[in-house]
Amino acid sequence: MMIKKKAQEELIGFALIIILVAIIGLIFLGFSLKNSQKEIVESYEVESFIQAFLQYTTDCGNYRENYLPIQKLISACVDDKTCLDERDSCDVLSSTLTGIIEESWKVDGDRPIQGYELKIVLEDGTEVIPLISKGNSTKNSKGVLQPFMPLGENYEIYFTVYY
Amino acid sequence: MKRQKSKILICSSLTSQTKAQLKIQQMVFMLLAVTLFFVLVGMLVLALRFAGIKESATEIEEKNAMLLVTRIANSPEFSCGNAFGKSRTNCIDADKVMMLKKNIDKYDNFWGRETNIEIRKIYPKGNVVCTIRNYPDCNLINLQSEEIHAEHSNFVSLCRKDLINGEVYDKCELAKIMVSYKDWREVQK
Repeated sequence: MMIKKKAQEELIGFALIIILVAIIGLIFLGFSLKNSQKEIVESYEVESFIQAFLQYTTDCGNYRENYLPIQKLISACVDDKTCLDERDSCDVLSSTLTGIIEESWKVDGDRPIQGYELKIVLEDGTEVIPLISKGNSTKNSKGVLQPFMPLGENYEIYFTVYY
Repeated sequence: MKRQKSKILICSSLTSQTKAQLKIQQMVFMLLAVTLFFVLVGMLVLALRFAGIKESATEIEEKNAMLLVTRIANSPEFSCGNAFGKSRTNCIDADKVMMLKKNIDKYDNFWGRETNIEIRKIYPKGNVVCTIRNYPDCNLINLQSEEIHAEHSNFVSLCRKDLINGEVYDKCELAKIMVSYKDWREVQK
């Protein structure tokens, strides 16, 4: 009797172990099969955005070129130059960048993007133009630091998108 | 006495044989039960796997579109090359793309089956579709002339040659290149 009971107990124990291992295996399988979701903002989007807007041709002309791209307009702003039509280069830079960012990263309503910040600074930390920002900062963000050195001067562009 | 002894011996050998048979039976049943259990688990796993096959196919198409969108601006069919001075990153030659659109049938399935590419100017904003007649006073270049649904996008600089006061200069605008992919989940059974 005792021997029979022992055998039955062993069998139940073995079966329980198998069931437990199978359940744990299924849980791990479930996690591995779960699809990874696309990020709301990808890093490559933010990087490409900065590279693209630096090449944007503004309506600020000078004597050498017809119209300046943003990259050269930043240098013109630092050197306190004016456009051919007497507008301040920094004002043109600020308004153009504000327009570009507003159209590219919509923040109103129930959109996934909650806010953004753009900062252009010199090597010593001085802001070239006032900070351009909109919306709220959240704990989820994608940001890029883009250094560039036109004609030996060092500038840094910080752009962060919050979602 | 002898009869009793032989009876005892016969009984004990019968008992041990029965025990052994019982043990073998127990083992066989256990093995059967374990095998059946693993077969059921395997069938469950297969059922779960194949239930998500449309999602997997869509995921693969989506990944291809995402890889394409990060690299396509630098491909020879789209890139500015040295046409606008020094070599530029993420720069698309709009004039080249319009010619590509004219000969798009030669690029059938070149970037993938049922993949469409659209370039939309972000700033300044607009919704005018580009044709040979209205170019460059337009905002949207759709290569296959089909609507885009599921897509991945990336920012690019859309450049072209423009004239002012009889002088040619480089004009670059901010745009988004969108690569569509097939969403298998929308395919009807």
